[in-house]
Amino acid sequence: MKQTKLGILLYVILIIPPITTYMESIMLVHMLIQFPLLILAGWLIGEWVLERWPYHFLKWDANGIAGIILVIFITTYWMFPRAMDESLTIWHIELFKFISLPLVGILLRNSWRKLTIIGRSFVFLNYLSMFGLMGWFYIDSPVQICNNYLEIEQQMLGWGFVVITGIMIVYVLQKCFISGTKSNVNQI
Amino acid sequence: MSEMMVRLKSRNNLIVTQMVVTGLTVIVGMIFGIIMLLVQGGMIEAMPATFYQFLTIHGTFMIGAAALAATAIMWYFLSHYVELSKKILKINLVLFIIAAVMVTVGTFSFEYAGAWTFLYPLPALSASAWGTIGALFYLIGMLVMGVGFLLLFIDSGRAIIKKYGSLGKGLGWDVIIGKKAEKDAPPPAVVASTMVTIVNTTALLSGSTVLIMNIINVINPAFTFNPLLAKNLTYAFGHIFANATIYMGVIVVYELLARYTKRPWNSSRVFLVFWTMSTFFTLLVYPHHLLMDSVMPRWMLIMGQVLSYANGLPVLVVTAYGALMIVYKSGIKWDMASGLAYLSMLGWTIGVIPAIVDSAIVVNHVMHNTKWVPGHFHMYMGLGVIAMTFSFMYFLAKNDNGLKETMVDKTAFFMYMFGLIGVSGSFLTSGAISTPRRFATHLPEWMGPAQFGAVAGILVVIAITIFVIHFIRYISVRNKGNIGSDYYDKKLA
Repeated sequence: MKQTKLGILLYVILIIPPITTYMESIMLVHMLIQFPLLILAGWLIGEWVLERWPYHFLKWDANGIAGIILVIFITTYWMFPRAMDESLTIWHIELFKFISLPLVGILLRNSWRKLTIIGRSFVFLNYLSMFGLMGWFYIDSPVQICNNYLEIEQQMLGWGFVVITGIMIVYVLQKCFISGTKSNVNQI
Repeated sequence: MSEMMVRLKSRNNLIVTQMVVTGLTVIVGMIFGIIMLLVQGGMIEAMPATFYQFLTIHGTFMIGAAALAATAIMWYFLSHYVELSKKILKINLVLFIIAAVMVTVGTFSFEYAGAWTFLYPLPALSASAWGTIGALFYLIGMLVMGVGFLLLFIDSGRAIIKKYGSLGKGLGWDVIIGKKAEKDAPPPAVVASTMVTIVNTTALLSGSTVLIMNIINVINPAFTFNPLLAKNLTYAFGHIFANATIYMGVIVVYELLARYTKRPWNSSRVFLVFWTMSTFFTLLVYPHHLLMDSVMPRWMLIMGQVLSYANGLPVLVVTAYGALMIVYKSGIKWDMASGLAYLSMLGWTIGVIPAIVDSAIVVNHVMHNTKWVPGHFHMYMGLGVIAMTFSFMYFLAKNDNGLKETMVDKTAFFMYMFGLIGVSGSFLTSGAISTPRRFATHLPEWMGPAQFGAVAGILVVIAITIFVIHFIRYISVRNKGNIGSDYYDKKLA
């Protein structure tokens, strides 16, 4: 249960008002640090959740596909600039953020290990192209997309996405050309 | 029937279904091509808007069909060496059919006519020729098609890594650097499949990015993007994806000639080096589609030109030379399959020359927007990739249950060869007299070659219909005869 405690601690830190306000004041930190940390908190808490309700996850997400589809939907929603913008001005959207993103973490923990190697690769490559697109979108957009953030901030966020895409490409290359072993690709 | 034979039959069923879909798609696509030539030749009349719809559907269907056929060839032979997923092959076919329906609906029901290259911002800026729904049907259809192919290449990559350790080893890098002996090199089918897996995954990721960007722009035109980056991504997808079809198709040449001549076609060190070169060059040459974009960085244009010379040639040389050597004094008995495989080498070799000419910047500025370019890719794809496809179909028919070829098939072979030389020649001639490409209406001076091309195209369609009928005959009798009589299949069983 060490992970669960860490997850709860992380979650509590993230909802402390000054920390929340500070993180949300910078677009890049909001999207690329707060969001992933909320997902991480959920993933850590997932240790307890999955142990507590194993039957439900087995019944509703036996092969990981249902969970990962939900993960994709929620994360795609949070990549919309409008969703991020509204979380700053509408309290129930903010509340939804603090519930949905940890939920993504829990679902991810359950689904990822159940997915086949093809499923995992497909999801990973899907996010790779999606992050590349988001980078381009935020850098190249001719208008201010969010009311709460300046154009320069959205460009910084765009470059953040580009860096993440670059890291993902390097990861894929080392996985396919260097660390490929017979053991990690057995499933179809 | 043993369990293994049932498995082989089920595998072949899937491949056969895929090839039937391909054959019918090619016929439909070619009919649209002929109609366009007839319109350009002034022999029939059609509204320009209709012409551009035909142009869109022709390009999409032909590239899609070539890719579908080529993946079937790759899958069939690669499955002799690594364990591939039949489920994924099935999913790809289903997604392809869904995509084809969406593209057709978008084009004919909603009048989308932005060509298969969907070049930004054309899908959104149609001058009211088509609306949002048509563009969305088309773009999402292409996205669905891409998802299927991406899954297929993820699976081939997984299977190659599982068997050989990494994609680098699938390309034989450990043999190139001397860690392993040449005799332990991966077979040509694996090398080619690895190359295609690498380049097509890259292409599909670029394509999906630019497709979604186009979709955003179509839904909300206020979101605009850098058109130069969009064009780069579009051709990083389009060029690689179209080009890779021949690298998949050529697997049939390697496998078939080795079986027919009873001589092994091994991967030598030179062969492996050339395939690695082509892997990198295929990824880098697409700027030759942007030589007329003066705002492109100069170094990229120079790279596009120089690497275009270097791209196709290594693999072409090693394959064409290998094909000549393996056949020389082998006592091979020629039939439709081996004949078409050999013809495809001719199509590839000759078809690449106009492309290399056009990739020279000074020539490109004059020729690129003329029908010279379709002249190149009709020969390269038609006489190259599509010939490989039908070679594979005849191979399957003979190999699977020994279906005999008739005089009609042999006549169709020559009709196909001369017909496609006629079609390509008519395009090249049009290019040489500066006929612009993608023009619905031609001046009287431009009409002669288009008329000739249309007649030659009719010959090709008749020939291909005969090929497909032969294949359908094979399907109707295959359940009665032996299946999986292939040497490798027997070994597997």
